[in-house]
Amino acid sequence: MSRSTLRSARTGGRVAPLFGLPAAGIVALLLYLPFLWTTYVSFTDFNGLGTPVWSGLTNYKAMFSDPDLVGALTNTLLWVVGMVTLPVVLGLVIAVLTYGHRWGTWLRLPFLLPYAISGVAVGVIWGFVLQPDGALGQVLGFLGLPGAHTGWLQAGPGNTLMMIVATSWQAAGVNALLFVIGLQSIPAEPLEAARLDGAEGFKLFLHQLWPQLRPITTVVVGLSIVGSLKTFDVVWVMTQGGPGTSSETLALSMYKETFVLNNYGQGAAIALFLSLVTFAASVLYLRYQLADGDSR
Amino acid sequence: MNKTSSGPVRTAILIVLGLIWLAPVYLLIVNASKAVDAYDPAAVWKPSGFSLFTNFQDAWDKAALGGTLLATTLYSVVAPVLAVLIGAAVGYAIVALRLKYGFVWFVFIFGGTIFPLQMVLMPLFSGYASSGLYDTRVGMIIVYTAISVPFSAFVMRNFFTGIARSVFEAAVVDGGGLFRIFRSIYLPMAGSALAAIFILQATFVWNDLLLGLTLSQSESVRPIMPALTGLQSTYGGAALPTVLAGGLLVSLPTVVLFLAAQRFFSRGLALGQF
Repeated sequence: MSRSTLRSARTGGRVAPLFGLPAAGIVALLLYLPFLWTTYVSFTDFNGLGTPVWSGLTNYKAMFSDPDLVGALTNTLLWVVGMVTLPVVLGLVIAVLTYGHRWGTWLRLPFLLPYAISGVAVGVIWGFVLQPDGALGQVLGFLGLPGAHTGWLQAGPGNTLMMIVATSWQAAGVNALLFVIGLQSIPAEPLEAARLDGAEGFKLFLHQLWPQLRPITTVVVGLSIVGSLKTFDVVWVMTQGGPGTSSETLALSMYKETFVLNNYGQGAAIALFLSLVTFAASVLYLRYQLADGDSR
Repeated sequence: MNKTSSGPVRTAILIVLGLIWLAPVYLLIVNASKAVDAYDPAAVWKPSGFSLFTNFQDAWDKAALGGTLLATTLYSVVAPVLAVLIGAAVGYAIVALRLKYGFVWFVFIFGGTIFPLQMVLMPLFSGYASSGLYDTRVGMIIVYTAISVPFSAFVMRNFFTGIARSVFEAAVVDGGGLFRIFRSIYLPMAGSALAAIFILQATFVWNDLLLGLTLSQSESVRPIMPALTGLQSTYGGAALPTVLAGGLLVSLPTVVLFLAAQRFFSRGLALGQF
């Protein structure tokens, strides 16, 4: 290295923090500081006014004893299970069917379109589709199927299931795209060899493709878990958590406890619980993703 | 792949599935186009009349979408631009300037994406209320920027890592100041990455509900998604076509952006943004 570049490296070393400071500053001030405050408040009885008084694990215990919060916990679990199955399976099917298809890119487009729409708009559309005797009911009636007069969103856990369907409508295309990226990374030779051996269709998929799709599946499932834990927009628009609290998710309870009931401590405890589970899920799939990177 | 992969069965399944997927979009467009008076809840599948623009107008007036549209556009442009620049600056510091403990800086900044929004909502609300940022456009821009910075820093650091070291050394030998090298060499080279981040973050800001709901209330500050849910609460009356027109209206910008920039979206997905 010449003397001038050495000198520049030194100058760079001195000025460099100035370039990093805006990013670190805004993240520290608006994300980390609130994070710490929420963590502290979750162990108190804070109601937004006055000084928080330490209350230990009271708020956390309530999450597992208060019937409304237990209901929200159950619904959130339902969301996680629903979102790692329905849109993931649909995404895989769409990916496998479109991959290598002459018009694959175009045939994938209808599934990708809902991804460009906001959760709020998805809620508006599906709230309309699922009205009692609405669009879905009329189709069922036309086909002579039962359920034409069902109030899809009027009782739990059916309302949660229908909102999972609505969200799957939005998420399947993205999952398909991720699976296509996974399919593209599979070397062609072993596939051709298997084909020559007479493997076809489902058998080819099961023995050749599926094992190689495991890494990307982990990513898709991980992202689905993380996303479903935060479910808020669609529920907020379609049912507001109701009727009663029958379709409330933890993300919704957190909002209600904090901003409707002024129960800041309780809201904070729910937030921290969600964060921990999200973090655990992220570590799980990121570890797989990184391990996959190492093996290549 | 071979010929069987475009077989008729496969194509048929995809077309049927695709039509099912488009059905809600069809229902949205058809019913958003019906005149409020002529809307028949028992015949939602049948198109009738075309009052889309009247309904747009109604949604615009009732949800005060006009004012909110201006504010949301402002947030969706300014916050991602700021985030892109701030992220690029720290990426430049870590990669080109070899910032001391650069990896620690990086982990700290990227760590900002780990916790869900719920974790920061309450303190942001309290902090904004006591500092006068609550229900201000500046406050909204700041929070959207902060949320977008970690991802931007992540992408920019990765992008700059791909630029040869000799580029930086040559620029220094040529006597460029460190800020000038950033502005006139590194930023222009990163055009495609900057655009990808911008598009993804602009879409995020446009589609946000939770932050807007929590940190704003007046018509001129509140972003478009919370405004739409306000319109939605008048649901059940004659205004159904109006609500749907509102839903269509707020979706148009992101759908157009998506169709125009599909490859950026795919790239963003490959980078792990969801």
